[in-house]
Order: sequence, then C-alpha cells, then structure tokens
Amino acid sequence: MSALIQFRNIAKVYGAGNTEVRALWNVDMTIDRGEYCSIMGPSGSGKSTAMNMIGCLDQPTEGEYFFDGQDVAQLAEDELAHIRNRKIGFVFQQFHLLAHLTALENVEQPMMYAGIPSAQRKKRSAEALERVGLGNRLNNRPNQLSGGQQQRVAIARAIVNTPLLILADEPTGALDTQTTQDVIDIFSDLNKSGITVVMVTHEPEVARLTNRVIWFRDGEVLNPNLDPSDIASVTAVAT
Amino acid sequence: MDFAESLKMATKTLSANKLRSGLTMLGIIIGNASVIAMIGIGEGAQKYVSGQLQSLGPNVLFIVPGNREARQLGDLDVPRTLVLADAKALATQVPSVTAVAAEKTTQGIVSYRNRNTSSSIVGTTEGFLTVRSFEVAQGRFLNDLDERSNSLVAAIGSTLAERLFDNESPIGKQIRIKGITFEIVGVLEKKGSSLGLNYDDSAMIPITTLSSRLVGRTSPYGIEVGFISISAVSQEAMETAEFQITNLLRLRHRITEGDDFYIQSQDTLLDIANTVTGALTLMLAAIASISLFVGGIGIMNIMLVSVRERTQEIGLRKAIGASQRDILSQFLIEAVILSAIGGLVGTGLGASGILLIAAISPFEAGVSASAVIVAVSVSGSIGLFFGVVPARQAARLDPIVALRSA
Repeated sequence: MSALIQFRNIAKVYGAGNTEVRALWNVDMTIDRGEYCSIMGPSGSGKSTAMNMIGCLDQPTEGEYFFDGQDVAQLAEDELAHIRNRKIGFVFQQFHLLAHLTALENVEQPMMYAGIPSAQRKKRSAEALERVGLGNRLNNRPNQLSGGQQQRVAIARAIVNTPLLILADEPTGALDTQTTQDVIDIFSDLNKSGITVVMVTHEPEVARLTNRVIWFRDGEVLNPNLDPSDIASVTAVAT
Repeated sequence: MDFAESLKMATKTLSANKLRSGLTMLGIIIGNASVIAMIGIGEGAQKYVSGQLQSLGPNVLFIVPGNREARQLGDLDVPRTLVLADAKALATQVPSVTAVAAEKTTQGIVSYRNRNTSSSIVGTTEGFLTVRSFEVAQGRFLNDLDERSNSLVAAIGSTLAERLFDNESPIGKQIRIKGITFEIVGVLEKKGSSLGLNYDDSAMIPITTLSSRLVGRTSPYGIEVGFISISAVSQEAMETAEFQITNLLRLRHRITEGDDFYIQSQDTLLDIANTVTGALTLMLAAIASISLFVGGIGIMNIMLVSVRERTQEIGLRKAIGASQRDILSQFLIEAVILSAIGGLVGTGLGASGILLIAAISPFEAGVSASAVIVAVSVSGSIGLFFGVVPARQAARLDPIVALRSA
C-alpha cells in the first residue's frame, strides 16, 4: 500500500519570541491509502491543527507534507482549494449544512465549485444521498431532518466528488448512541469501498471501531500506531 | 463556477432572506427614485421655461432701463431714463424695426358694477398687439389716437372679461380702474401666461393715460416706461436691430460710456433661463445623488453584517473547494443584484412620481431614457463599488477560523 498522507518533520508555530506557541513539533506520520484510522489526544495536543493540515485547510510553518504524492506545504490558496474540492471530503461535528437549501442542493455544492453541469449534479447528488440511506429525503431542508439524517447529508456531500480521503472532525460529537452507530457504519462501508477515512475524535468507543489510532500529545505524535484496544491505557497515562 | 450558476445561487440566497434583501434595496430604491424624479423635474422646468419664452413672439428684443451690471446686482432702484419718446424714436428712426411697444404696469382694482377684481393695469401703445403677437377677439385694440388724446379707453384680457362680465359682451361697457371710468373698446384672445406675466387678466390702457391719470409723471425725461419691446424685420436682422437701437439710444441719452439701458433678446433670456434651470437640475441631482450614495453605504453595511452572519457558510464553502474568487464573486453578485433591482424599482417609482407631478402641475412629464440608463448603471456600479469591501472580507476569511466561529 502506498502512502496517501505523509508528514515529514512538520511544525506549526504561532507567534514569535516570548509568545511563541508550538502547536505541532517535529511530526512524522504516514497514513496509507485505504486506511481507516482515528486521531486522538487530549485537548491542546495539536490533533486539530494536524487535522486542518491533513485537510489542506492550513499549511505548516516547517516541514513537508505530501498528499497523494504532491507536496502541498508550499501551494497557493487556490490550489489548496482545488485539492479540497476534488480529493478530500469533510464531515464536521456541527454538520455545516446550508439552512436555505434542500438536502439535494446541499450535496450539489462541492460539484458547483468543480464546474459540473446541473443535470449531472442532480443525478450524482441523488445517488450519494441514496447511498447514505436518504433517498426519500432529497427535498427536505436541514431543519426538517434529525441530527443523524443531517450528518448523513453531510457525508453524502463529502463523497459526492469521489474523494480519496474522508476527513471527519468529531463526526459523532453531536449525535446520540444509536445514530452514532449508524454514522460509523456508513464510514466503515465507505472505507470498505476503498476510500481512506481519517477521524478526529475524543470518544474511545468510536475510535475503537477504527483500525488504528494515532495518539497526539503536546504537539507531538506520542504513538503513531496505537492498537484501538489499548486506548484505555493511554488515556489513563494522559490524565 | 460559471456566471449563470453564481447568479442562480445569489438569487437563491437573497430570496431566502426576503426582508433583509428588501430593506437593503430600500436605500437604493429611494436614492434612484429621487435622482430620476429630480432630473425629471429639472428637465420639465427647463422645457416649461423655454416654452414660455418661445411664446413671447418671434424676433422680439426687450429694452430695459439700467445697465446690465446694475440689473445683475439686483438693483431695484433702476434709473427712470427710458421714456415713451425713446420708443417713438425707435419706431420712426430704426429701419430694422417693424413695431415698437412701450409698457408700464401698475396694479389696481378694476370694477364693473358691483364686481371688483385686482389686476394688472398695463399702459401700452398700439405696437403691443404686433410685437407680443396678440389677437383681438372682439372690438379693437388701442390706437395712436387714443394715445395722443389720453383717452379713457381700455382693451381687456379674456380672463378679466369673463370675471367682470360673464357672458355679457364687454364692448362699450364702462369699468372703473382705480376709481376712474374707462370705456372698453376691445377684448383680447386668450394667450396664457408667459414668464409669469399673464396679460389675460390685465386691462390695457394708453400709456399716456396711465401716466397722466393713474401713476403720475415719474421721470424727469418724459413719460416713463417699464420696458420697450420691439420686433425686428427678421431673425437675421436681430443683431442689426440691437446695434441700431443701441446707437440711437446712446445718441438720445447723450451717453459716451456706460449705457443706462440694456437690450435683452429672447436668446439671452433663454440662455439665462437655461443656466438657471440647468443649475437647478444639477443641484437637485446632486442632492438626490447623496441619497443614492447613502443607499450604497447601506448595501455595504448589510453585506458586512451578512458576511459576519454567514462566516460559517463561507468557511464551509472554502472547505468544500470554493476559491477566493468564487467567494468574492458570490458576494459581489449579491450586492450588484440588490442594487440593480433596487435601481430598476426606484426608476419605476421615480418615473411614476414624475408622471404624477406632470399631471398636477404645468410642467411637462420628462422621463428621459438617458436618465434611466444613467441611474440604473450608476446604482449597479454603486453595488459593485460598495460590495467590494464586504466581498473581499469574505474571500479572505481563514476557513479554519470561519468554521470554528459559532
């Protein structure tokens, strides 16, 4: 398996001099294509900064980041936007659906920035919603859907441009146990179909369902290959 | 993303928040309506004034006492140097002049039996009819004989005739002007007002009678006149006439430098009027432009608020692949749509306002195509101009910060 995500000596530093804050320091990390892993760590450990960097929303102060074989550390903002659009699908804790649009229209959005014509957009949106089990909710607005359904619309939006990577930031943080299970199942299905899934979470029971846990602490990767069943021990050490 | 898509997206966003979009447009609507209305009113006034001037009669020159500078200073106490004898001399000695009318006006009560009315009493000469292009409806106008013999005769305007006599024929009737009895010899055709003077409501009497019986002798040089109007033989002869009149009057008044009279042609009057109404239009448009400008600032304001409010949306759009240009154009298009629609609605309102004004005032309706094009394109560019700041702010948002804001 080849690497999809490769951090080499990545550092992210905010401020300078006395106020310097090292959000990430000397991070080396590799995530292969087709992996299903989670990033964990106490708050302030740098896991969010790492996630932003993986998602090409942020760029490192130092080091190299290869995504899909391309060094993205030095790319211009519009080129990053292009990568996010074509190769990465985001899922957020707060869903971030546009309230004035229907489920179908929400899923269409990434394709609009990809320049896909309207008819094809509609067809692909409907297929994506079908895939997450919302084939009968195409024309509902977000406020007419439950939290779990909204998150599934967000997942449909993330997969509609056939990305290489699904990047999920606390995807189950706002959901109850049952819908959490549904959403995680969808992620597993997507992973089985070949998409790399990376999830940032602080819920051990969610992380336990993934194949690998990358453990962050104090801006460094403390354990790049933690067995999900060992989470409890690490959490105990951390606290 | 192509333009049609962006346009569709923008209209969707705007119609999702109808109240706010409407309120934002309001500023531009009012601004545009006032620009259109004000320019229309200005142009209407201009047309009205030049229409009035043209109704004065062709090839007419006015000779008024006092020099140009004094008149421009608004000196009300003009010298009483222009007299009836000057008018007579112009009639007989200037070859390019066909008719001459001297006029002096006073106000007074005109009564017939138990009816009284206050009107202008115009002392004038036979030439009035020709120079000012009036027609006699009944009877005759004043003639030279009346003038020489200080006759107590009057020719009255049509409105005055109606007011005093209803349907009776006024010819031969006795009316009293300032307590003196006059016999009516004629009634003039209706002409309407020009330059604020309405002869339809006046009583015309010989200028000699006015001087000797009503106002008294007021000038040391002879019978004082308010102004003399002449008509030249042709349009081409106007300049010749002006030159000849100037020479003759300078001779008569023994002037070597500094004229004590001033000749106004219809053209100079028209120029003055156009300057005045032009300045008026400009001023009105400038005032109205301020409201258009304020409307633009309103758009900027609301768009800035909207960027704040939609920070998360912007963050999300960036995360799913919107480039800076996509976000910039989205907000710019929204601003331009708001102001363009506002511009159109405002233009409609302004135009109907003008039509309303035209219906209830003597001004002609004037919605010029140029004003509409200018107003709509100006309001469109105002949207573009004032949309830039908020749109740039939106485009430059850091997606991470934007997504985290709650």
